[in-house]
Amino acid sequence: MPAARFGRVIQPAPALRIRDLHKSYGTVHALRGIDLTIRPGQFFGLLGPNGAGKSTTIHILTGLVTFGRGEVQVLGRDVALDYRFTRRVIGLSPQEFRFDRFFPIREILILQGGYYGIPREEASRRADRLLERFGLAGKADHKIHRLSGGMKRRLVIAKAMIHDPEILILDEPTAGVDVELRRSLWAYLRELNRQGKTVVLTTHYIEEAEALCDEVAIIDQGRIVAQDAPQRLVEAGGDRRLEIELAAPPADGLPPSLAPHGPRLDGRLLSISAAHPRRILPGVLEDLYAADLKIEEVRIVESSLEEVFIRLTGRSINVDTDARRLEDGTEKQGADEAA
Amino acid sequence: MTALGYRREWAVGFWTLTRREVSRFLSLWKQTVFPAVLSPLLYILIFGEALGARIRLIDGFPYTEYILPGLAMMGIITSSYSNSSSSLFMARHEGYIDDVLIAPMSYWEIVLAYTIGAMVRGLVVGALVLGVGLAFADLPMAHWVTALAFMVVVSALLSCAGLVMALWAESWDHVMVLLNFLITPLVFLGGVFYSIHMLPDFWRGVSLFNPIFYMVNGLRYGVLGVADASPWLSFLISVGLTVVLFGWTVHLFKVGYRLKS
Repeated sequence: MPAARFGRVIQPAPALRIRDLHKSYGTVHALRGIDLTIRPGQFFGLLGPNGAGKSTTIHILTGLVTFGRGEVQVLGRDVALDYRFTRRVIGLSPQEFRFDRFFPIREILILQGGYYGIPREEASRRADRLLERFGLAGKADHKIHRLSGGMKRRLVIAKAMIHDPEILILDEPTAGVDVELRRSLWAYLRELNRQGKTVVLTTHYIEEAEALCDEVAIIDQGRIVAQDAPQRLVEAGGDRRLEIELAAPPADGLPPSLAPHGPRLDGRLLSISAAHPRRILPGVLEDLYAADLKIEEVRIVESSLEEVFIRLTGRSINVDTDARRLEDGTEKQGADEAA
Repeated sequence: MTALGYRREWAVGFWTLTRREVSRFLSLWKQTVFPAVLSPLLYILIFGEALGARIRLIDGFPYTEYILPGLAMMGIITSSYSNSSSSLFMARHEGYIDDVLIAPMSYWEIVLAYTIGAMVRGLVVGALVLGVGLAFADLPMAHWVTALAFMVVVSALLSCAGLVMALWAESWDHVMVLLNFLITPLVFLGGVFYSIHMLPDFWRGVSLFNPIFYMVNGLRYGVLGVADASPWLSFLISVGLTVVLFGWTVHLFKVGYRLKS
């Protein structure tokens, strides 16, 4: 971003600014020119299937992955030249659990604070607050192997928050957690965002992006294929239509007055694509009544972000979601058997 | 952020990692310190008492006293190496090295912290072995500053060697390869248990190419005041190797060798 000079309004630097970012692993071209700008205070989602480049992008921001070509800035500063600043303002909650196994979890948090320059007494106070906030106070003196999966997930996020970062980056924060914990994590992240933190998350779960993010970027095969508010992505890229089930197939065909809407008739099912199905609904119903056609059911169908995703990438994102549903089913079955 | 803020942050991150390294080995003292002090005592018992009576004085010292500085150096070498190599390998293997790599610390701060942590373990073990020696034998501590200098430099050297191996290693076997197949043989051939004047000419010449020979003799000079090699040459070789290895370790961290993808 050019420096603001005489009389120009100074724009705050973007929280994250990535330009033409490329990354190869040997012959595999993992990132093929990522361009991404995230404003301070946004709740941003990076949506993409496995191997799309989400984690690679995130790890480049924190310095865990080197990159070939491109420009990466955090709050206006270069991640390589000014790494002390850029790393200080980012909190990373990685997808995998990687904990220092030698120390109890309270000490893990204090050490993490120390690595980020927070003196021990202050880090201890913050650790206690975070343990309390995440319901882990009772486990403060336990080592990591005595924690359940859900507790480890909470600890990962607490660890990312110990130095009170401006920007919180979460890689698949709710992968494999139960519904209750997912809801409480969502509430926590919303609260942080309300307090002004920039939150960036990668996710497999479309419903998560829809529920939380004010903007999402769909990333596929190392490129960003779409970026907008979830609702606008659906409006722009999705199909919305009116579906009307008639009592019987119309003997004389559809009334000619419907022709401008481009109706499709399949037996008893009449469907009309429209940008705003609700607006045309009254007129369509009137025309059908006038032609003496009886109506059994009326539906307004809007495609989901999921369908938009499939349209853009040519595949479904939620291989993992399906696996989870299966898992949930299995668990439930197991519980039933036990009961 | 102010310049002061940076300095403060620097100190805290670096000291936190150093402290972590030291508390890790102290919390495991039964594995990390105790055996390293016990085995020299066994050597003293077995070699010193059983063989010592049959060996006449070496450079004016009874056998047990003569081998003590070498045993202390052996403890320093294996302890420093083991600490840095196992701690970093574990952090890499389990992935929590990322905590440090994504933190606002420079690479040489990270390397220095790991190095100092391992040096402390080496020095604790070395001091304990010498302490036991002082309690049971009449060590003169002829040049104690020299002795300390050799202990510090050699522990730093072996800490860096451990870090390099921990980066290179893909399994625990790899971590121990250097120790088992190079360092330990060199220690035994480095004059811990004998003076090279007791060797035939050929083996005496070969010993001069063994860097550990100079480290053992440096500490022996500091503790007993006698040595097979010039203390200055010994010191120069030890410091030179340490500087090179430290620089190499920082370089490997900087390029992210087996740390970053």
